[in-house]
Amino acid sequence: MKNYYFFLLLITLLVSSCEKDDFCIDPITPNMIIRFYDATNPLETKAVTDLSVNPEGLEDLYTSTSLDSILIPLDVTSNQIIYNFSTGTNIDILTINYEVEEVFVSRSCGFKAIFNNVTITSDTANDWILGFTTSLDNTITITTIENESAAHVQIYH
Amino acid sequence: MYKSITSICFLFVFVGVTAQQSKDSIPKDSIVYKTNYGLRVGIDISKPIRAMLQDNYSGLELVGDYRISKNWYAAAEIGTEEFTTKEDFTNSTSKGNYIRLGLNYNSYKNWLDMNNEIIIGFRYGFATFEQTLNSYQINSGNIVFPSETITTPITEDGLTAHWSEIQIGYRAEVYDNLFITFTGSYKVMVSITDPANFKTHYAPGFNRVYASNTGFGFNYTISYLIPFRKK
Repeated sequence: MKNYYFFLLLITLLVSSCEKDDFCIDPITPNMIIRFYDATNPLETKAVTDLSVNPEGLEDLYTSTSLDSILIPLDVTSNQIIYNFSTGTNIDILTINYEVEEVFVSRSCGFKAIFNNVTITSDTANDWILGFTTSLDNTITITTIENESAAHVQIYH
Repeated sequence: MYKSITSICFLFVFVGVTAQQSKDSIPKDSIVYKTNYGLRVGIDISKPIRAMLQDNYSGLELVGDYRISKNWYAAAEIGTEEFTTKEDFTNSTSKGNYIRLGLNYNSYKNWLDMNNEIIIGFRYGFATFEQTLNSYQINSGNIVFPSETITTPITEDGLTAHWSEIQIGYRAEVYDNLFITFTGSYKVMVSITDPANFKTHYAPGFNRVYASNTGFGFNYTISYLIPFRKK
């Protein structure tokens, strides 16, 4: 019986010494989530065929895929990032401006960044992206991107 | 034969009667083993040893207790510590002073004039400290845009911690009035101030602050008893 209590104590100590803050399981810096909608039927999502996405001067994140939603990372060391979105040979350039706010998460996760006042502008020449709203505006401002629970940007094409 | 048995019986009765009489006149045990009462002071030697082995730690702790009754001692520890917590994305240093006040109960029944203890201790702990975020890196979660390490230190002072603590340990008298003590402790934070947009990773006297606001401690002390009186 005495051994049993000792064993129980040992288990308790082992369990309590391996705490949840040893592993980073909390959400960290969010990516920007983009969904593609049909410009002629704005309630329906519409996959982009032959979609390639790359940050300017860097390698493709998506190459010749067909998707109706994508994730793109933002650069936490800068306040601006330029992305090339192309379908086939038709390239649309998106300029994203934002403010970085550092938020402490936990011991193992450290700090994450959240993005405020995110403004996305699409170039108007050679467009396949028609707009970011149902009224097809070429620029949109998002107050904050702080999690990945829902899409942040709608692209109508 | 019968006569001798009878006389032995009488002898027992007689002895019994005399024993009964002596109990009334003299205290039941004439030899009382007196033990020392006084102030015991010491130093935690695990802390200088840890400072030698770990380059991110330095600390000193003085301990003292005063015997207030047969099994109860008023006890206190006072100390100073500096510790650098190295995590994947942050590097921070806590530095400050602390005091722990409370009682020790000796649950060990000593033989004769021995002075050993199995300690069950209760403490209230208080620390005042500062924490410096030496460097950090934003956890960007992607390899396309790796984040930079920012090395501008951010210090926040005036941080405090209050906690309660239970200690279990063993104390042995190795020479006259010289004691070696070994205790382990479990601490539960009552209140702690965190730096703005950061967290206190280590509180002096409390050690690592776990996510559930609990902590563990360890003491290995050498102490000397200054005897005031025997009782």
